Amino acid sequence: MILGRVVRVAVVVAILGLVVTLALAFRRDPHDIRTGTIGKPAPGFTLERLDGSGTVALADLSGKVVVMNFFASWCLPCTQENPTLVRVYERYRASDVVMLGVNYQESRDNGLAYVRRMGMGWTTVADDDGRVALSYGVFGPPETFFIGPDGVIAGRHIGPIDEATLVTAIETLRARAVR
Amino acid sequence: MNGRVVIAIALLALAAALVFAARPHDVTADERIDQITTELRCPVCQGLSVKDSTSETARQMRDLVAQRVREGKSNADIEAEFRAAYGDWIFLSPPVASWSGLVWLVPIAALGAGLVLVTGRLRSTDTPQAAGPSASEVAALRERVAREEAAEG
Repeated sequence: MILGRVVRVAVVVAILGLVVTLALAFRRDPHDIRTGTIGKPAPGFTLERLDGSGTVALADLSGKVVVMNFFASWCLPCTQENPTLVRVYERYRASDVVMLGVNYQESRDNGLAYVRRMGMGWTTVADDDGRVALSYGVFGPPETFFIGPDGVIAGRHIGPIDEATLVTAIETLRARAVR
Repeated sequence: MNGRVVIAIALLALAAALVFAARPHDVTADERIDQITTELRCPVCQGLSVKDSTSETARQMRDLVAQRVREGKSNADIEAEFRAAYGDWIFLSPPVASWSGLVWLVPIAALGAGLVLVTGRLRSTDTPQAAGPSASEVAALRERVAREEAAEG
């Protein structure tokens, strides 16, 4: 009798636990994946510019909002999101927001040709051996990381990003910087 | 030759082979790279390890592991580097000492609960053994049998 009651309670508790777990899991935006790097200092790097005009170090961008976008010419969703990136770049180009494109798993020639063809006016760098992508936990392009003026990764977006998400993330970080 | 001797020699040879295979030996750098990349999940594959995947990402991860091994980093250091970037997800076998360790614990707990349930059910269905007739009942039966035999003549 007592055993039967215990079993019934255990089954109800297990079902409730499953429902709560699924509810929490499905509530989250699948593009907003909180892997190990979120809320931690952005891994430092120094990468060569795609056009060969020197290097860019993350440390040099300290105090600014950095939007770091991993892209590749062979990546169709990157092409789809590019007009959004261009618009947002034009909107913030004279501000404290820095956009940085990191070319992912392709030759510099192909990457540079894509950058010129797509009108990407922001700084683009080559991650030849993929070390920077691995240190940020990149799954595949396009992926966008938002780094605050304090050098901490505030968020990431997996897949093509829309303008509203991009602007909201940037403005949140700028507001935090002002406070 | 006696069959038992042949079997004994075969068993001894087998035991010697096992001891030889399990002997402690220095793990080479390549073996360490294989160990680590077997544990790591390829981020762009479906359930493949970094060691087994032919993708570019897996190749870059293998190169990174090899470099860290050459630099003298321990397996734990190298695994921690990947965990920092990708979380526990990057390991094909979830670590036991984390929330994902529930994957290991839940089936064991479910098995234990099932055993308790089955044992309880089996005990409750056991019927108590019928008690034997009392001495007075035996005496009454004997008397009845004797009466019926007398009546039959």
